Amino acid sequence: MRRSIPALATTAVLALALAACSSSDTPSDATSDSPAADSGTEGTLTMWVDDTRIDSMRPVVEAFTEQSGVDVDLVQKATGDIGPDFVTQVPTGEGPDIIVSAHDGLGEWVNNGVVAPIELGDKADEFADSAVAAMAYDGQTYGVPISIENIALVRNNALLQDTPATTFDELVEQAKGAGTDFSVLIQQGEESDPYHLYPLQTSFGAPVFEQSADGSYTDTLALGGDAGHAYAQYLAKLGQEKVLDLSIDGDKAKQAFLDGQAPYIVTGPWNTSAFEEAGMDISVLPVPSAGGQPAQPFVGVQGVFISAKSANPVLANEFVVNYLTTEEAQDALYAAGGRLPALTASADKVDDPVLQGFNDAGATGAPMPAIPAMSSVWSFWGATEAQIVGGQTADPAGAWDAMVQNIQDAIGG
Amino acid sequence: MARTIEQHTAVRGRRWWSEVGWRHVVGVVMIAVCLLPLLYVLSASLNPGGTLTGSNQLFRTISLENYTELGPRGYDNWALNSLVVSTATAVGTVLMGAAAAYAFSRFRFRGRRSGLTTLLLVQMFPQMLAFVALFLLLLSLSEVFPAIGLNTQLGLICVYLGGALGVNTFLMYGFFNTVPRELDEAAKIDGATHAQIFWTIILRLVAPILAVVGLLSFISSYGEFIIAKVVLQRPERFTLALGLYNWASDERNARWGIFAAGAVIAAIPVVLLFLFLQKYIVGGLTAGSVKG
Amino acid sequence: MSDQSTVQEVAPGDPGTTRPPRRRVPRGTTSHARSFSPGFIAKLILVGTVDALGVYGILSAWAVGQWGILAFLVVALAVANWAYFSRRMLPAKYLVPGLVFLVVYQLFAMGYTGYVAFTNYGDGHNSTKADAISQIAAQNERRVEGSPALPLAVVQSGDELGFAVVTEDGDAQVGTAEQPFEDVDATVESGRITAVPGWEVLGFAQVAADQEAITSLRVPFSDDPADGSVRTQDGSTGYVFQSTLEYDAASDTFTDTETGTVYSPGEGGNFVSEDGERLTPGWRVGVGFDNFTAMVTDSRMAGPFAQIFVWTFVFAFLSVVTTFALGLFLAITFNDPRVRGRKVYRSLLILPYAFPGFLSALVWRGMLNERFGLINEVLLGGASIPWLSDPWLAKAAIIGVNLWLGFPYMFLICTGALQSIPHDMTEAARIDGAGRWRIFRSLTLPLLMVSVAPLLISSFAFNFNNFSLIYMLTGGGPNFVGTPYVVGHTDILISMVYSVAFESGVKQYGVASALSIVIFLIVGVISYLGFRRTRTLEEI
Repeated sequence: MRRSIPALATTAVLALALAACSSSDTPSDATSDSPAADSGTEGTLTMWVDDTRIDSMRPVVEAFTEQSGVDVDLVQKATGDIGPDFVTQVPTGEGPDIIVSAHDGLGEWVNNGVVAPIELGDKADEFADSAVAAMAYDGQTYGVPISIENIALVRNNALLQDTPATTFDELVEQAKGAGTDFSVLIQQGEESDPYHLYPLQTSFGAPVFEQSADGSYTDTLALGGDAGHAYAQYLAKLGQEKVLDLSIDGDKAKQAFLDGQAPYIVTGPWNTSAFEEAGMDISVLPVPSAGGQPAQPFVGVQGVFISAKSANPVLANEFVVNYLTTEEAQDALYAAGGRLPALTASADKVDDPVLQGFNDAGATGAPMPAIPAMSSVWSFWGATEAQIVGGQTADPAGAWDAMVQNIQDAIGG
Repeated sequence: MARTIEQHTAVRGRRWWSEVGWRHVVGVVMIAVCLLPLLYVLSASLNPGGTLTGSNQLFRTISLENYTELGPRGYDNWALNSLVVSTATAVGTVLMGAAAAYAFSRFRFRGRRSGLTTLLLVQMFPQMLAFVALFLLLLSLSEVFPAIGLNTQLGLICVYLGGALGVNTFLMYGFFNTVPRELDEAAKIDGATHAQIFWTIILRLVAPILAVVGLLSFISSYGEFIIAKVVLQRPERFTLALGLYNWASDERNARWGIFAAGAVIAAIPVVLLFLFLQKYIVGGLTAGSVKG
Repeated sequence: MSDQSTVQEVAPGDPGTTRPPRRRVPRGTTSHARSFSPGFIAKLILVGTVDALGVYGILSAWAVGQWGILAFLVVALAVANWAYFSRRMLPAKYLVPGLVFLVVYQLFAMGYTGYVAFTNYGDGHNSTKADAISQIAAQNERRVEGSPALPLAVVQSGDELGFAVVTEDGDAQVGTAEQPFEDVDATVESGRITAVPGWEVLGFAQVAADQEAITSLRVPFSDDPADGSVRTQDGSTGYVFQSTLEYDAASDTFTDTETGTVYSPGEGGNFVSEDGERLTPGWRVGVGFDNFTAMVTDSRMAGPFAQIFVWTFVFAFLSVVTTFALGLFLAITFNDPRVRGRKVYRSLLILPYAFPGFLSALVWRGMLNERFGLINEVLLGGASIPWLSDPWLAKAAIIGVNLWLGFPYMFLICTGALQSIPHDMTEAARIDGAGRWRIFRSLTLPLLMVSVAPLLISSFAFNFNNFSLIYMLTGGGPNFVGTPYVVGHTDILISMVYSVAFESGVKQYGVASALSIVIFLIVGVISYLGFRRTRTLEEI
């Protein structure tokens, strides 16, 4: 409607301007209205999802549209861009109604006021505890968990058939008996990999933050002290023994395991599909403890979150809180995506032994912390572990203390 | 006179080695250096479940599976978008850059020198944060000119054309200066207008640099994804670079094989375009054509 | 070099020239504004179209209230018409199109960055105060513990919206924003309210049409405000909520309902209590020069900063020199028409430029791997050279990879620029007995430099800010030990900015913008001095 006046004026001006010649070339594209929203539906929700999950989301969304008459417009974004773009675009009013993302950006979104709280009500009990805990920040729930990912120990059954080891040292000993180039592969890289090393770290009783009773993190660091020193020494030992090697990056570790050069690898479900496609017979087990306490991997939870400035809050809640929490929707997501559903009822139906193995290994896991300072924690953490594993520091415990101090400063500031 | 060199093609023996032969050695060595890293890409593109650099044993599996998967994932559409965007950008850049270079080279006006310097200096601004500003700009433009707003290819082209002046103008300016001014003076005396001189005399004489600038701007917009991802938000509008970036952005779940296959195919148009433009770039148009 | 006859041969080929070719036109009337040649008509059509679009834009900008765009369009249209219909302003006719794009897309981005540099824009301060207030209120509204989920229907009477709920006892109740819940005689079918006397029960479509009003509606649970109020997210289930922080518009403060602490807006763009506790999110405010001083004041960064500063210059300089040297060498090598297969050589040589840069960087990172990389394992026969983890080797690796990535650009430019050097000049020199090196030093290089020198400076500036290469190849590592930010030996200024402003936990666009401007000033001044030195601008 509001465009009709300028459109008229354009035509008039154009006619005047072109009066001198006989041309009637009109820039019609500039005046055409964008097509009005489809009037046959209740409304349209815009949803950002990354390339690897868009295909599994599609059937779920179609089923929802059929049931409710609400269109969901899936927009493909790069994995790493969803969180940051959400933060920059929501304030402009141009952002999406809903995003699908890993939960570890939640703290940043809450801090920026771009994500809306939701109320799961009694449905919260139907999900795995760690999944719901991951969706909460500061005691308020912000998202619906859809799938859970964590790392575990993967065994190549062609090389070794059973794992009697109860400690990580025994595991390495047994693996060396297989006579392969590598024993237990844990991917590293120039910046090490605190994520893949975390089960070892927690087994020394040095989790990154203290957890309160409900599973949520406090911002008190727990990775220092004697437990941290013991872990740092252990890392240095593994580095000297070349069990850990900075030159084994993710690519190298995956390829070496594919080539049967190692009986064990610590990795996640994103790699096991390639192992299975290559015809390998694998088993998934929990990582044995190195320091005596349980080895807890980080649990990453994919969740669906609603924008604080969504123009369609009711529709968004209808979809996210009322539809995606159903067994039907979580089953469909699993069927298309092959990741462990967060809904307990759907997870119990999963009969894939590999995924069940990851599920068992993750049962004791700890959610990845979602506090905004986590990004600086990762970089200090990785840099220090790289220095210890690579033998660049003579005093692992001292390097560890310096790291704790730096992280403390970063969080405090 | 300029063509006499052809007669030397028949040189043989030691003289051939010292004048021509070594050039082939350099060429072969350089091509090996250029291709070596790209062999990993080619190898990964032929290996459905493999890694990018996990092994130095290249080409252990040969399968075209990755290539056949490109189509269903919207690759064709992206390729078309990329060709449209990059071609338009290249043409626009050449025209606007050449016009500006002509003005700087042929007219004397106040602020000419400082204008030239400013153009180059402006390009040196770190663009790291430009995406925030560009997003807001395109968002506002969407309301006024939907055709060049967010999520339009025309909008993306316009953003790319924002860099049309600057380095390219400079490259052309230097080249324009090598075209003798006597040519324009003579034409002017013959009654040609400045526009006729520009379109019919100068542009022909500087064809090599136009081809170079066109190619450079084609390649840079063809491979650009940081601005593209701010402007284009729907997969069906993606350019190749943006689509490929999306495939590779999830490091854990990325399927490098498909990504590599996409990159291999994406490189073909650039090479073809260069093959095609070579005759303009090195055609020896300057001296030769003036002499007729 | 040229003479009259050359031009005569070119001129008749002009398309659209209908006048006698040798009519002399006096100087000063070169603009053909008053003659109606095809060229003029073409111009009229083009300018007319631009005007039409511009006027359309002005009206449209006025309609939607985009005053900035409106003002710009008015100015731009005036300039364009003046340039194209004035008889003077010859240069402007050629400069205006490019300048318009430059101003809109580049200068705007610069100006905006300049503006952001003086604000605290970043994580925790990324929107307006109004947004912050509504978000703080929303985040601090908690469901009353142990309260039930109430089946709910949205009801309407006239303009007034209300909720109808089924309580735990099975009673139906209706309430509005002013009127707490009261029992009514409603029809309840399988736990859901389908009709309420005096009220219209809204269906899903009606709820969807008025979403924001419905989600912001709060119906008091009882006469006692301490009991909280009912709200709904989806129009079908209600929960009892209580605010732990309440906003008072009159005093512009938040009050904690439990402790009574009052938070009032502070200067930093947050609500702050008297003992300094801040509420998040905050909003954007101007902070003056704080962002500029932030870097300088951290003494622990002094050492690494100096190293990074020096390395940035070394890196940019070496990148230009190496790529240019190799590019020029190859361009000259294949500029000889006697070399067969030049086309193939040249086409393959630009391949590194044709592949996505980040892909190449990933491959190179793999190839430089200390134990398993191709360079060490295959080419150097199993050597163990820490290419990426030794500070000096990592720097060498960066320069090397950048050479691989960058020489095709220089190769292209030099190949093009070599064409401007007439063959007969080099040939004449050769006949005079000058050696190849001498011809290159005294003839080719100086002539080439005329057109290429500014590009070398601009390439210097590009590499000065070549964030993506550093980020993808080494991530700045190997890292300095014990610095308060994670920065490393191969970090350049711009990647240090990234690390400081974005990887230190909270994104600080304000700080990053300020540092970008500082870097721009540094590289700008250096380049400006470089231009003065090259004398290219003084030519002609």
